[in-house]
Amino acid sequence: MAFSTTVSQRKHIKRKAPRGFLKRVFKRQKPHLRLETSGDLLVHLNCLLFVRRLAEESRMNAFESKCGVIKKEHVQAAAKVILKKSRG
Amino acid sequence: MNVRRRSHRARSIGRLAHVHTSGNLEEQTPRTLLKNILLTAPESSVMMPESVVKPVPTPQVVQSSRRESSRGSLELQLPELEPPTTLALGLLAPGRRKQRQRLSVFQQGMDQGLPLSQEPRGNGSASSLTSSLNLTFATPLQPQSAQRPGLARRPPTRRAVDVGAFLQDLRDTSLALASPGDSLRTPVATLPTDTVLEDTQPFSQPLIGRSPSVYHSLPCLSHTEAEDAKRAVSHRTQSSGPRLQNHNPGKPTQLLAGKAKKVDALAVSFPNNSSAVSGEDGVEPLQDGVGEEAEERMEESLSVSKVVATTGTQGSVRMEKSKGHREMTEAAEAKEPEGSSGASLELASSTTEFLQARRPQFLEPAPPPSAAVLSSEPLEPLSTRLPPRARTPGPRPRQDPHKTGLSHYVKLFSFYAKMPMEKAALEMVEKCLDKYFQHLCDDLEVFAAHAGRKTVRPEDLELLMRRQGLVNDQVSLHVLVERHLPLEYRQLLIPCAFSGNSVFPAQ
Repeated sequence: MAFSTTVSQRKHIKRKAPRGFLKRVFKRQKPHLRLETSGDLLVHLNCLLFVRRLAEESRMNAFESKCGVIKKEHVQAAAKVILKKSRG
Repeated sequence: MNVRRRSHRARSIGRLAHVHTSGNLEEQTPRTLLKNILLTAPESSVMMPESVVKPVPTPQVVQSSRRESSRGSLELQLPELEPPTTLALGLLAPGRRKQRQRLSVFQQGMDQGLPLSQEPRGNGSASSLTSSLNLTFATPLQPQSAQRPGLARRPPTRRAVDVGAFLQDLRDTSLALASPGDSLRTPVATLPTDTVLEDTQPFSQPLIGRSPSVYHSLPCLSHTEAEDAKRAVSHRTQSSGPRLQNHNPGKPTQLLAGKAKKVDALAVSFPNNSSAVSGEDGVEPLQDGVGEEAEERMEESLSVSKVVATTGTQGSVRMEKSKGHREMTEAAEAKEPEGSSGASLELASSTTEFLQARRPQFLEPAPPPSAAVLSSEPLEPLSTRLPPRARTPGPRPRQDPHKTGLSHYVKLFSFYAKMPMEKAALEMVEKCLDKYFQHLCDDLEVFAAHAGRKTVRPEDLELLMRRQGLVNDQVSLHVLVERHLPLEYRQLLIPCAFSGNSVFPAQ
């Protein structure tokens, strides 16, 4: 598929968007609003980019602390930064 | 003359073979040639003898291969390409005689419909890939090989093996990881925990190293492992022991079934802890980890074992077995240092073994010696596991679909991170995702309200991404869509013109 990495690990990441899940989450949060069909996919795209940024930030944190494993603190610090960035 | 003949032939063949190239048949660069070969030729493994491959100068081939290597998808075909191309060069070097032969062979190949067919001399394997390569490289190679014979470089033929070996290793590790779990667990109980297992430890090397040993340890130490597990777990939950003895033996099957799940979770926690904890700490950290993770479950399983023990003690025949087990367990216990890593496996495998009805004879004698052993020690936490498990069916269904949806993104996180992660870190990621979704919905609501709408449209999403900084004047939304979403979604999102003056999706 376009640009994205070849999965060389044993875990094969599925590329499908959990559209039902996203719709459900949106409905639960904002029952008075409606979400369009293609908006669903863009939300998924947004989530992908968010997760990617979060992962890279936590990876950097882990590198800086010279740790071979990503720990909770790394993720927490990364989340603070990235959530602030993606507030819009 | 030779050059002309060869070039003529190559060109004619080129016209036939290179249907994909648009015009420009005159300049057949190695890049285009290789590309066309890869497009037209079927995949075939080419094993070339080293002697033929080595002495041939291949400056051009190296260049073209380097160019090709930049394309990710064609990478795997490169090692197959290189030997044949060098072989082609080797064959072109000799004289006229061989060219004539090749010509006849070529004509045969033409009749057969193959674009290029040239039987490599002194080489049994003539795959279509080889033959196609031999001919396409006829023209350009000759001048270059004549000009710069000194630039010949040995092509890295090892690459094919490496990739194959690497894939094989992947299969082995996945197989080794999957199979011990499969062999150990009942099919029903494994489903939720299988995913959990894969989820939490995508990259742990210790786990991979361990999995083969699980195999070995499993058959010989199954009976001892059950006791080890119980003993290890028993240190944790002491107080609940006597209470559990009151359980009526009426529900061993339920407990066993429930236990399977717990033990699987236990098994999950073991690799987690074992990977996190160094081996020489012995069984203690495992116990700690176990205690933290599933203290209640320990108790449940303990109650089961107690129950079974009570039933089992009535069978005197099994006492012999139990004695043997006890000795073996003690011996196993004596081997503390090696048991630490083995114990983790043993515990995992043993508890699962213990739970399965497959080996009732082990089940029953196992509890009596464990009961005997554990009576001196505080408790068997396993039996205490099950009652709390049965008490909480309510809240689970509400949490599960939400969590399974989130787990998709959590898996993506662990994939993008490319590093092993702790379980706590993954839970943190889930919390972050929850917060993120809240923020997202709020923002979308604001944007839709700003536009006076009650439906969230893609324009709102675009505005959101622009505000987040993902979309700017250099990078448009369509670019992001193309980069990160699969083709089907891209077709749905980006309007594209089709025949008949129609655009899909309609705007």
